[in-house]
Amino acid sequence: MKRNTVVITAVLLLLAVFAWAGWANWEYRKQTAERLQASVAKGELVPDAAGGAAYLSPLKDKAAPAFALEDLNGQKVSLASYKGKAVLINFWATWCGPCEIETPWLIELRNQYAPQGFEILGISADDLDRDDPQKLNDEKKEIAQFVERMHMPYPVLIDGDSISTPYGGLDELPMSFFVNRGGRVVATQMGLTSKGDIETKIKMALAE
Amino acid sequence: MQSRWESMSGIRTEFQIAAAVLFGMSALLSWGQAGSANRSIVKSAPVEYLFPEQVTVTAGKASEVALHFRIAQGMHINSHTPKDEFLIPTTFSIPEGTGVRLEKTSYPAGTEFTLPLDPGNKLSVYTGELVIQARIVSTAGNHLVEAKLHYQACDKNECLPPKTIPVAIDVIGK
Repeated sequence: MKRNTVVITAVLLLLAVFAWAGWANWEYRKQTAERLQASVAKGELVPDAAGGAAYLSPLKDKAAPAFALEDLNGQKVSLASYKGKAVLINFWATWCGPCEIETPWLIELRNQYAPQGFEILGISADDLDRDDPQKLNDEKKEIAQFVERMHMPYPVLIDGDSISTPYGGLDELPMSFFVNRGGRVVATQMGLTSKGDIETKIKMALAE
Repeated sequence: MQSRWESMSGIRTEFQIAAAVLFGMSALLSWGQAGSANRSIVKSAPVEYLFPEQVTVTAGKASEVALHFRIAQGMHINSHTPKDEFLIPTTFSIPEGTGVRLEKTSYPAGTEFTLPLDPGNKLSVYTGELVIQARIVSTAGNHLVEAKLHYQACDKNECLPPKTIPVAIDVIGK
């Protein structure tokens, strides 16, 4: 009798542990699936031919989302005004080391392919404090100093965060979108790759 | 006697089966959770506060507290004194009005780090475990302090936006 009680108690205890573990595991998997779903909506990493990971944006083969952002002189610049040109939309920030590494490549490629109808729009994702005019002024100055240091010859726009949602979240920088003459995104890039990779994608944008 | 032995043996066998099932279920649970860990989760929380969760200090007297953080594998954050003016330094702060004042913060020296595609540019970063020494002065009583760590993380190819994480410490001033 005593033995039966012990065994039944132990079995009930085990069942309770299993039930709890099952519930915890289900809850964990549900949350992971939700996070994964959110990540897919923003873009995902897929295996590439070289065995690494390539960024696949949901914007690929779709029209590049329209925008009009201020440049460092306060002038509005719209993507639509570049219709008929191949455009590389490059999101970067002053605090982003890999962005700094790829900038000289972008400058060289821009100068090389500009005669064929190619332009780069460099969009700063640096935070802007619009509620504090003094801070905003300092932040714009800092971006301008960086642009001057890097000798960027192409238009540099600010407040990239304001268009981050249509461009997939901009959770990681640098991030680039290669837009063909018809305004369609033909290739994307997340993170630092290589000058050769960027050039290949520029050629795709110019060809299509 | 034999019946008693059989009964003992029966209990042992039942417990052995139950233990094996429990072990199997636990292993399955661990495998399922480990398999779900992915890159995006690491990137969403590149720095984690480890300990202490609670410290007891002498009220009104400056006390040293070592704060331990872990930086995700493959990631780095700028040290408190990055070598480039545009890089964002790691800073620790305690908001005012919490009953605990941050008198001084001592940050470790950064480790030299170079990005593979820019070997000439030496960065000063933190990787792995980070320990920040905070000298605090607490008033008497129990204070649930939500301190902050501000940092900007990157891996060798990409950077995440600057982030401020809460550092929750229960400070007991006696």
